[in-house]
Amino acid sequence: MPSGRYKSRTLRRVFRRVPSSKIKLQYRKRKPRNAVCGSCGALLKGVPRERPYKMRSMSKSKKRPQRPYAGNLCSRCMRKKIIAIARTGA
Amino acid sequence: MIEIGRMCVKIAGRDAGKKCVIVDVIDNKTVLIDGQTRRRKCNVNHIEPLDAVLKIKKGASHSDIAKEFSKLKLEARETKPKKTAAKPVKSRKKKEKAELKEAGKEPKKADKKGDKKK
Repeated sequence: MPSGRYKSRTLRRVFRRVPSSKIKLQYRKRKPRNAVCGSCGALLKGVPRERPYKMRSMSKSKKRPQRPYAGNLCSRCMRKKIIAIARTGA
Repeated sequence: MIEIGRMCVKIAGRDAGKKCVIVDVIDNKTVLIDGQTRRRKCNVNHIEPLDAVLKIKKGASHSDIAKEFSKLKLEARETKPKKTAAKPVKSRKKKEKAELKEAGKEPKKADKKGDKKK
C-alpha cells in the first residue's frame, strides 16, 4: 500500500529497474503540458516536454527548431506570417 | 515569376525571412539561390517571389550578387573562411611500435581489458 502522500495522483508513477535488478514503482513530478503554436494551437514539434531544470541543462538547439519564430509558431503559421510580411512590404 | 534575377524571400528552414536572388533555374521545381541566405539549391515552394528583378547573369558568382545587394542596401551573407588551427597530431613513437610487435599483441590486449573492468 502506498503511503498517504502518494495516494493522490499529483505525482506521476514511473517504473524503474533499481540497482537490485527489481522493477520498482517510483514517483516523479508531472511534466508540463506540450508547447503549442501561438496562433493555431497545434502541438509544436521539436520542443521537448520537460521540467524547467531539465530544459536549463539542455543546449539551445535542443530546445527549439532553428528558424524564425521557433518555439512560438508552428512551421505553417510561420510561413504564412513571412509571406504576409513579404507581400505587404514589397 | 520564377526567373533568373528574381528577388525572393525564403519561407522555410533556418534561412526563412531572408532575401535572396534566383541565380539559376535547375528544373521546374528547384532553383539555385544566393544572397542573405546560403548559396544553395532550393525548392520553388520554399521561396516567395518579390517585385524586384536584379540584372545578373545565369550562375552569377557570389561577389557579383553581393555588389547587386549592396546597391539595394542589403547585406549578402558572407561565410567566414575557416581557420585551420594547427592541431597537435597524436603520433606514436616508432620505436615503441616496433617493440610491441616483437613482444606480441596478446599481453597488451589483455592489459587493456583489465583496465576497463577497473
